[in-house]
Amino acid sequence: MVDWRLFEPLFNYARKKSMWIVAFCTGCGGIEMPPLMTSRYDLERFGMMPNPAPRMADLFLITGYVTPKTLKRIIITYEMQPDPKYVMAHGSCPLNGGPYWDSYNAIKHLDKYIPVDVVIAGCMPRPEAVMDGINKMMEMIENGTADGWKRYKENYEWYKKNQDELFGEGWREREARRWLPWLMDKKKE
Amino acid sequence: MIETALKALFILLYATFVGFMFMGIIRIVTARVHRRVGPPIYQPILDTLKLLGKKENITHGLIYDFGVIYALGATILALMFIPLGGVGILRAYGDLILITFLLEIPMLGIMFAAMSSGNPWAGLGAQRALLTLLAIQVPLGFAIVALAEFYGTFSTYQIVAAQQAMGWSITHLPLLLAAIAYDLVLQAMFGKEPFDIMIAPGEISLGPMVEFGGKHMGILQIQHAIALFAETLFFANIFLGGAVVTVFASPILNTIASLAILLVKQIAVLLIATLMATIFPRFTIDQAAKFYWKWPTILAALGAVLASL
Repeated sequence: MVDWRLFEPLFNYARKKSMWIVAFCTGCGGIEMPPLMTSRYDLERFGMMPNPAPRMADLFLITGYVTPKTLKRIIITYEMQPDPKYVMAHGSCPLNGGPYWDSYNAIKHLDKYIPVDVVIAGCMPRPEAVMDGINKMMEMIENGTADGWKRYKENYEWYKKNQDELFGEGWREREARRWLPWLMDKKKE
Repeated sequence: MIETALKALFILLYATFVGFMFMGIIRIVTARVHRRVGPPIYQPILDTLKLLGKKENITHGLIYDFGVIYALGATILALMFIPLGGVGILRAYGDLILITFLLEIPMLGIMFAAMSSGNPWAGLGAQRALLTLLAIQVPLGFAIVALAEFYGTFSTYQIVAAQQAMGWSITHLPLLLAAIAYDLVLQAMFGKEPFDIMIAPGEISLGPMVEFGGKHMGILQIQHAIALFAETLFFANIFLGGAVVTVFASPILNTIASLAILLVKQIAVLLIATLMATIFPRFTIDQAAKFYWKWPTILAALGAVLASL
């Protein structure tokens, strides 16, 4: 077998230069995404591409506050991505709750539920700030410190404990079966 | 024997490299139309490297793996039949029907894989792709019939040779009509904008591609590069005169010159498709089927009738 570790610098360069974003626009940060992609601040220069499918994505941008309802989808989307995957939290809401610090329905620390590699503060951050965060992310990928996906595997018990504390045990099953009674009622009518 | 294998390897490597450059050109041209800078031209190679370098891979069973390989293999086989200047290895057998058939097989392979993944979006995309495939058959068939009627042969190599004697196909009126119809069909074969209903990013979340990640998507990128090369090459061969250069004394110089001429013609075909893709929005699937069964079919049928007179 070929020892693929020899080629790791090459693959790291490719990973750094072609981060595909999963288009998951949570909260108001979704408004800051289109200016990044369009002609003024062109993210495609760095080889980044918004992509609607989580299976192809590498970079997961959390753009704004996260409610428990969204967090379930975020976790499922995060787990669907194949392995070298990076999370960038964007704005102060995923960092520490931001203006929603006393809300009963916003997640205060996203870092407790999925591993975050780079955080950009600001409400909202300018596109230049986001590009600075992307630059930081590229550096971290280059020297191998962007290892959120590794941490998620190693500390899965801790993340799962936090998730279960928030949503209650067996939340995936419950979420999947949630609309079944409603559909059954519809059938009867 | 060895020589043939080396030739096949050369064609494969050349097609893959140039195909990746074509993908880069498409992205840069699209970006320039939007007044953006756009990625570097070698960006698709980096994308493919990254996708092949994923540390985790998903699979949904045997057909899911097989369909992707099947698509790649069919594209490579189609490539081998198309005369590439003087280099083609199977060009004596490459008739029009076989090549057009082989160029559509990859879509079927992707459909196999997409359908077996069990994702509803992939199933939806597969249905749309099969309907597009069905719709493009009619103008495509008429265009092929027009060519065969005009030249009296199905062999691509003989058509290229005939064009050296009597001028490019598009200078004759019946074949010009067939070429316009074929160019509209190419738009759907590339999966470009007015007819990219089967991929439809944003509308049905990438359609059949939605479940491919990691190495499967990397292989599909290579397949897409080779398919771009093969389709533009086929168009350049049958309508734009191909290239048979015999002015130089050395055969290597002749080969390089014919490859360069072909490259210019292929890029012309590619640019028409890209510019059309950047300015037109997407059709819905029923509009696309109606469109293909109306205007391109009328044009191509008219061409076929005129060619047989």
